[in-house]
Amino acid sequence: MHASLKDIRVSFGSLVAVDNVSLEIAAGGIHAVVGENGAGKSTLMNVLFGLVRPQAGGIEIDGRPCSWASPQDAIASGLGMVHQHFMLQDDMTVLENIVLCAEPVSRFGFVDFAGARRKLAAGFAEHGIAIDLDAVVGELAVGQRQVVEILKMLYRDARLLILDEPTAVLTPQEKDRLFAILRSFAAGGKSVVIITHKLDEVMEIADHVSVMRGGRLISSGPLGDTSKEQIAREIIGGDLPPARKPQPREPGRRVLAVSGLATTSRSGPVGPVSFEVRAGEVVGIAGVSGNGQAELIQALTGLRKATAGAVALEDRDILALDVAGRRHAGISYIPEDRQRMGLALGATVSENANAGREDRAGFAAGPFLRRRAMADFARGLIERYRIRAGGPAARASTLSGGNKQKLVVGRELARKAPLIIAENPTWGVDIGAIDFIHGELMRMRDEGHAVLLVSTELDEVMALSDRILVMFEGRIAGEVAGPDATRKELGRLMTSRTGGTAEAA
Amino acid sequence: MKPGDTVFSREVVPWLAVFFWIAVVLFVLVELVSSDFGAAVRGFMQGAFGGRRFAYLMTTLSRTALITGMALSVLLSFRAGLFNIGGEGQLVAGGLAAALVAVLVPGPPLLILALAILAAMLAGAVWALLSGFLQLYVGVPILVGSLLLNYPIRYIASYLVAHPYRDVASGMVQSHLVPQATWLPYFPGTRLDIGILFIVVAAIFTIAYSHTTVHGYQARLNGLAPDFARTVGLPVGKLAMQTLAMSGAIAGLVGAIAVFGIHHRYIDGMLVQPLYAWTGIIAVLLVGMIPWLVPFSGFFFAAIQTGAAGMERTAGVPKEIALVAQAVIILLVASRVSGALLSSSDRKAGGGDA
Repeated sequence: MHASLKDIRVSFGSLVAVDNVSLEIAAGGIHAVVGENGAGKSTLMNVLFGLVRPQAGGIEIDGRPCSWASPQDAIASGLGMVHQHFMLQDDMTVLENIVLCAEPVSRFGFVDFAGARRKLAAGFAEHGIAIDLDAVVGELAVGQRQVVEILKMLYRDARLLILDEPTAVLTPQEKDRLFAILRSFAAGGKSVVIITHKLDEVMEIADHVSVMRGGRLISSGPLGDTSKEQIAREIIGGDLPPARKPQPREPGRRVLAVSGLATTSRSGPVGPVSFEVRAGEVVGIAGVSGNGQAELIQALTGLRKATAGAVALEDRDILALDVAGRRHAGISYIPEDRQRMGLALGATVSENANAGREDRAGFAAGPFLRRRAMADFARGLIERYRIRAGGPAARASTLSGGNKQKLVVGRELARKAPLIIAENPTWGVDIGAIDFIHGELMRMRDEGHAVLLVSTELDEVMALSDRILVMFEGRIAGEVAGPDATRKELGRLMTSRTGGTAEAA
Repeated sequence: MKPGDTVFSREVVPWLAVFFWIAVVLFVLVELVSSDFGAAVRGFMQGAFGGRRFAYLMTTLSRTALITGMALSVLLSFRAGLFNIGGEGQLVAGGLAAALVAVLVPGPPLLILALAILAAMLAGAVWALLSGFLQLYVGVPILVGSLLLNYPIRYIASYLVAHPYRDVASGMVQSHLVPQATWLPYFPGTRLDIGILFIVVAAIFTIAYSHTTVHGYQARLNGLAPDFARTVGLPVGKLAMQTLAMSGAIAGLVGAIAVFGIHHRYIDGMLVQPLYAWTGIIAVLLVGMIPWLVPFSGFFFAAIQTGAAGMERTAGVPKEIALVAQAVIILLVASRVSGALLSSSDRKAGGGDA
């Protein structure tokens, strides 16, 4: 399917998200749309998919002008989109999810599941997909859930597939599998569009690259006509920042001491784990997502009950405290899920920026809010952390992913707490924001804060950490000194407990 | 707001269309029962806003007070993400407590009035808190718990005024009259009691609370994003209970106003039959939980009900047709308002991760 977007313009209030962009998507190829978050690439694709109605411009599919009233029209015309946040019913099986809203009906009005199975089996064989159709989606790994999303489109005979940041949540192996499927699609004549900001992946899979920046299309052409360096320059509008290397630094006093901490998770017990984080060091926790990191962090922040063990923050036992008590005692927490835990999307930037502050006088006078002081504080964060927002009164939901995350990071770091827990702090954000957030975390370290960094991105852990703990199946599989860490070594620890130091200190 | 024709075409035209359709449907309905359409409309207007010395307008305002009061109660909990739909039970608890205190406790009238109102607010708060306890400690969702708690209090109230505290001589299932000196006075020259002033105060309190207080801000964050509220350490359990207490107290206050301003005793079903609590919920939802719009919404619903009654009285439109008309008006206006609110929040929300 050949799709073309002509002179598309979208604005949200005063913010122009897409500024007169025209883009051609050829049939039978993989087209990467790259750019920082907030560059307008998701919005542009949402226009193509009928989720956002442009103020100006039009869409042509195979030369015919089209206009969508809703994504349903786009789907009917052979388009499909996998969103960054999956849209699946966790309680239903894979097969039920796939046929949902496009159920094949048998003679007596029942859903013809057998027919659906036959149809899918053909697709499985053609594209080398393997998945248990009767598994309940809620129990699948992230990578498999994505396969379900892709199967939904395959089942609906989509001829143009749009994937928004498809690899953000995948392990390297899952990513390879996804790319194999996408290549097979392209070879079969389907068009694939992937929205991404990972240049390595662009170089690996794309036939065609379009770069967006600040709502404009900067370049669009075959991959062979450009280079990684040129794309990077086009994305950020300048040269890449140099790679970050932490300056060796003698760690200071013990800030966090965890001993024998255990908790429970859906997939089994987590812990016991013991480790400590000192002032002025970054301790990274690496591991494939779902190996107990999230539960460990929740047990530390008070969001989940610990079943055993002790946690001392600056030599004070905090396990008996609630979330607010622990924050007050000196924990800042940048949660992985900025949409649900990091921000209240329906509230304003200012309201988000001031949530969880304990310096009450800074935003309240008696029982009343000091709206102006709150706005000033938010304005300070916007400037200090270079958040692109319409202002303190803009709704948090209007911010792009990277700017949302900067708002969370800014709010948490501005508290100057002794311990900073950062959980996948750069998940799904662009190069510029990643570099900025990494810089801020390192600055906190250099100022003498203790930083506990949990990340499923090996590069991130390796770039920032003084020491790296690897988690596997709820335990610490081993510890590696940051400068000595190799991907191979970490990868080995990530998949086996043979490190033998399950109780690494 | 953008200038010129866009505002007109975007904001005004759809409303005109809504009114047009309301007129069409009403016309058809009235024609069905072969009444005079013009007379029906006049009857409606007269019933809602007219009358000798605006007597019917006063009735509308009196009803506005009760509906708005219940709407404010609902607003407080809904904004905090607590789906307390037990306003009816809290209202009954308040009305019952107010009447019993005034009937049973001797003392100077003004003191008794104050005491009874406080007792009503306390009773409403306690009844609301029950559903909070059920959620926090037993795990019954507030939506279910608060709804179910409507029934026991209704029947407790029925029992109390049917047996121990019944005004047997009256022959009705009702309590004795509260002392006449405790009755809320009328505004001079009208039949409107000053109970509406309490609601004005409650409305000012609620609007100010929602927009200007730390508690209101935190409760709203909890309503918008409960996981977020927990993560940043807001005292979510305490917020929920305090909000429920406030919500219930306002419902209780409404019960007391109905007792001292209108009925002067507790009559079985007097707070349940007119569906004050449920109308209050619709009134809040209609304006998308925007606090300052709630009193207007309450007035709108009161006017529709009294107007429909007027239509029946003067134009001979049967009550059932009037009720259908009322439903049609509410549906059309609600679809327009919530549609507009939704699309405006979409516009503001933008495309998310753009």
